[in-house]
Amino acid sequence: MANRDRVAAIGVGYSTTGRRTGLNRRQLVAQAAKKAMEDCGITPDQIDGVVLHAGVAGAEPPGLDWIDALDVAQMLGITPITFYNSDQGGPAYIHAAISAIAAIQSGQAHTVLTVRVINQRLSSAEERDSVQGPMRIPGDSQFTMPFGSVTPIQTIAALPAQRHMERYGTTEEQFGAHVIAQRANAVLNDDAIMRDPLTMDDYLNSRYVSKPVRLLDCDYPVDSASAVIYTTEERSRDFAKKPVFVESAALSATDILPAGFEKLHDLNMNSPYHAAQTLWSRTDLKPSDVDCAQLYDGFTIIVFQWLEALGFCGEGEAGSFVESGATRLDGSLPVNTDGGACNVGRRHGANFCIESIRQLRGNESGARQVKDAEVAVWANATGPFSGAVLMTAN
Amino acid sequence: MTTASINIPESATAADYPPIPVPNALTEFFWEGVANHKLMILRCGACGTYIHYPRPICPSCLSMDDLAPEQVSGRGTIYSHTTTVQPFHPYFVDKVPYNLIIVALEEDENIRITSNLIDFPNDDIRIGMPVEVTFQEVAPGLTLPLFKLA
Repeated sequence: MANRDRVAAIGVGYSTTGRRTGLNRRQLVAQAAKKAMEDCGITPDQIDGVVLHAGVAGAEPPGLDWIDALDVAQMLGITPITFYNSDQGGPAYIHAAISAIAAIQSGQAHTVLTVRVINQRLSSAEERDSVQGPMRIPGDSQFTMPFGSVTPIQTIAALPAQRHMERYGTTEEQFGAHVIAQRANAVLNDDAIMRDPLTMDDYLNSRYVSKPVRLLDCDYPVDSASAVIYTTEERSRDFAKKPVFVESAALSATDILPAGFEKLHDLNMNSPYHAAQTLWSRTDLKPSDVDCAQLYDGFTIIVFQWLEALGFCGEGEAGSFVESGATRLDGSLPVNTDGGACNVGRRHGANFCIESIRQLRGNESGARQVKDAEVAVWANATGPFSGAVLMTAN
Repeated sequence: MTTASINIPESATAADYPPIPVPNALTEFFWEGVANHKLMILRCGACGTYIHYPRPICPSCLSMDDLAPEQVSGRGTIYSHTTTVQPFHPYFVDKVPYNLIIVALEEDENIRITSNLIDFPNDDIRIGMPVEVTFQEVAPGLTLPLFKLA
């Protein structure tokens, strides 16, 4: 359990205060935060957590700036950080998992239900055609959307994938090798939606959405909810199923959410690297101890980013690592043994937590069971914010 | 500082205009600059750091009083690019395939701008290519900073 040292308050600060100050939320936060830091002489590099509640009293004024905890951290130069809160989707299920794990470790709760739910209201074509008059874009997207940067497929997937290819020599066939291996796992999973085997020709003949990203590189949009319950080790033996244990968990934010991902300090080596560093620093286990890896696959390039970030291969080497067969079910590091969100449906990371638990229970994964699996890692999100959890069977 | 004004005809539809930037108190200098065919980036006078997107504080030295827009050269290199094939907004339905580029500015490679490369074949775009800004009225009343090969 975490130690129970007393908590101390050390610095305080106010923003300009008054009626109709003309200041927006971002300006008010900047003023108050700076005052509080000055009050106690602390510098941003001495801070590693941020929590913000950006309330509006009364009706939302038109054109009000969005601001969340990551905006605060970034504009004050507090980066990278290992804890923050957010109203945004962002790292999705990992937020729920990390909050539950932290609450249990600190004694604020002993058993926590976590859920990720997604309601896929419209198809992308329906969404596009629902736009009537000219679209007006406030906030940071005013610097990206006018140029046609309007979807995560472009920003989260295509721009990083193109840079990975030109910088490291990664090929479209290497992306395809992952897609095919992942589908082969889905064929063995009754829970999967997409279960027809794929060939390289199938992959290379599938249409581009935004080059080099193809339709088959994208997760499969569905309505879904996924839930996982966490409790203390002491209580965990009292239930029907064999418990698996959280060995280490890490959340990371290295950037704010840049509208077009163009501001990331590096399009491929960003928060997953920081999260992995934190993850491994909190355990004696090493990448070579991992029996299976469940890596976020909103888009294929993200799986490659996590393979490199977690140290399963070197920087820029994910393409050849995947092409070698290492990540197939019969390889040295089976990856996305449930078939991934491309095949079980978009669950924003929760499926990877659930598959890790099933693999480590040792008898729930049927033909895709990894023999003697004792250590699993799962990862969620990429880019400005992400996280990973290491789980063990014993 | 006056507010950058973009007058859009009432009859305009989503197919006539790309998403239209709505400047605020922190960003209006950028669009005012674009209207005058200048690429302006916020800079900290105390330590020289460029700040983009615009923020009311310098992330390097926490100065709040010495930030001012500064005209940059408009030159840079392509940091990454994609050619979008499927349109996700009505304006782009008859524009596909179109390119998106990220430009790393000459003054500071960490200051990056999303835009489009004009007058150049999409398939020949490569990371590292030198580019420079140009200003185009892409729809009535809406000027954007685009890039061409330098």
